[in-house]
Amino acid sequence: MISGLSTQDDVAGDLSLECGAVIVGSGAGGATVAAELAEAGVDVIVLEEGGYHPTESFTAGTGRALRTLYRDGGGGLAIGRPSVLYAEGRCVGGSTVVNGGMAWRTPARVLQRWAEQEGLRAISEQDLDPYFTVIESRLSVGLQDPETIGRDSGLFRSGAEARGWNVIPNRRNQLHCAGTNNCSSGCPSGAKRSMLVTSVPRALAFGARLFADCRVDRITRSGPGVTGVSGHVVRPGGRKGPRLTVRARTVIVAGGAVQTPALLMRSGLRPASGRLGRGLSLHPNAVVTAFFDEDVTGWQGVHQAYQVREFLAEGLLLTATNLTPPMLAAILPAHGRELGELMAGYNHIVTAGPLVEDTGTGRVRNLPGLGPQVFYQLTDRDAARVVRGVELTAQALFTAGARRVLLPFDGAPVVRGPDELRRLLARPVPRRSLQLFSIHLMGTARMSEDPGRGVVGSFGEFHGVPGLFVTDASVFPGPIGINPMETVIALAMRNARRLIERRGRLGI
Amino acid sequence: MPVPGPAPAEVPARRAARRFAEVVCPPEVRADQRADRVLGQFGLMLGSLPPAARTALAAALVLLDQGARLYPPSRGRRFARLDDPVAAAYVRALLARQGTAASMVRRLKGFIAMCYYDLPEVQREIGYDPAPYIAAVSRRRLESYGPQIRAGEAAAFIPGTRPSVTGPSVAGPADGQEP
Repeated sequence: MISGLSTQDDVAGDLSLECGAVIVGSGAGGATVAAELAEAGVDVIVLEEGGYHPTESFTAGTGRALRTLYRDGGGGLAIGRPSVLYAEGRCVGGSTVVNGGMAWRTPARVLQRWAEQEGLRAISEQDLDPYFTVIESRLSVGLQDPETIGRDSGLFRSGAEARGWNVIPNRRNQLHCAGTNNCSSGCPSGAKRSMLVTSVPRALAFGARLFADCRVDRITRSGPGVTGVSGHVVRPGGRKGPRLTVRARTVIVAGGAVQTPALLMRSGLRPASGRLGRGLSLHPNAVVTAFFDEDVTGWQGVHQAYQVREFLAEGLLLTATNLTPPMLAAILPAHGRELGELMAGYNHIVTAGPLVEDTGTGRVRNLPGLGPQVFYQLTDRDAARVVRGVELTAQALFTAGARRVLLPFDGAPVVRGPDELRRLLARPVPRRSLQLFSIHLMGTARMSEDPGRGVVGSFGEFHGVPGLFVTDASVFPGPIGINPMETVIALAMRNARRLIERRGRLGI
Repeated sequence: MPVPGPAPAEVPARRAARRFAEVVCPPEVRADQRADRVLGQFGLMLGSLPPAARTALAAALVLLDQGARLYPPSRGRRFARLDDPVAAAYVRALLARQGTAASMVRRLKGFIAMCYYDLPEVQREIGYDPAPYIAAVSRRRLESYGPQIRAGEAAAFIPGTRPSVTGPSVAGPADGQEP
């Protein structure tokens, strides 16, 4: 066992611990803060609800990965018209273990908007540059080695470039990625520099303690400040194990945009702005499935090797993402013999689609007996963007040589060429027929210097509750239009720096 | 939730789930006890879902089963008791509808199809066999870039690489300064 790491196997009875800072969550935000604070000599405990799954345990089994690495088997549902499927990681390393490994700096226009609208301090491009530089070095952010790029990415790129669109190679946190195309089930080579293989072991090396399989139920308080957290150990099958109490003068919540507001609400925290749990953005995605004559074998080689950035001003990012057979079969609009015939052509399929910088918002609520539930309303404007993004994606795929495509609209017929596509999309696409999913949830504990507008301040400090901080994507004041991981890490590193500067005052 | 786990005398929900798998999966699901393994996977998957989703999917199964009685060609029979053509037509009709119930049936179909295509032999039949490929490219990675990989991995542990500046705009005082 790794020094400093405990799992439910190591816990027989109730646990009572004490430390300087307790961190809830070990993903991009939590692991980063843990490593920074531990390196500065702070006594840190990290509590992670999910299990510890080392690199050697990762396989291509989709079902197993969904059950072990994702919250709720990857089956989250944001209720609305249409509902949006979403997935979050739940394991040591959090969503960085199962994401695609895209590493992009926050767009300057987004930072400027945040600073202007929310009065945020130290959040300009120049302010964050030193953090991004360190992150990119530590996580080996860079371009793919050419031999690892899959044919599906190549085809999508060729189609987009033939149409004259701006296509760029993707930047990823990878150390000579092998191109196993197993990102969403855990990287089996360790090449993806997730928190599991970077900031978590770094934090442990500097003396942090990490308890996996530990769910935090509440933040404990005394007077205006915090005194720690309470929770329980999670036994196999989700059974409730021994109780857990951690006493700490500083509590840092990094459970993601669904669990963070849920925990804060469970703990009776009600910021004056009334914004806790509100303002959810989720970058809706849709998948276009294209069939080619040639053998694509898209599962060989890394997915999302390129991004089409031509339509960023419209809030659209396009990319090719290979889906494993189980994932593809789950979304194909066919069943029985027809499903079998479509899947028989699996090696001739390219899946690609748009990511939409959304304008609509949703909400996280704790429902009695059910726990956190997400509600999200897609706006007409965003629905139109999804349709536009689907059309552009299909156009690029036809240009690349696709013979037919399936669109992510309930009841849509098979489309056999650009003319059919144009005719089909000349008619309105009902919003509720859109098949959407998300892996980027943001904005439910938003930053604002104005306590009347936000939940936390510029550095993640919860308004009105000394010693309580939030540092994950829930603090984003809005969507960022690109992959959010590097932004989460940069803000966490910056917030940790701030904590270290003020550690005497915080008593850590 | 009665679906997971083996059941010598199948309970109604499990019978409905089996019948549903036979309809929504390709015909080969009836070979080599694949349906049993699909149901096994499905049970595990249900177990990992949040309570609300589990309840909703269980309800969808019951609705699917009992709702068939209202489908005229079924002549009052439950879904689990329909013969193949009628069962297929019933599911086709359900999947073509709009609304919450149809959406739940589509989700159910997605889960069952996912479980079927997670079976290794089914994956091999469609030309997807990732384990040897993963082993080969992982080996190639180490052979091609071994020293760089070791150096990069070590970089994650080098102390003191925190930014030395927070800039004057990190407004607000540090310890020892006025607030």
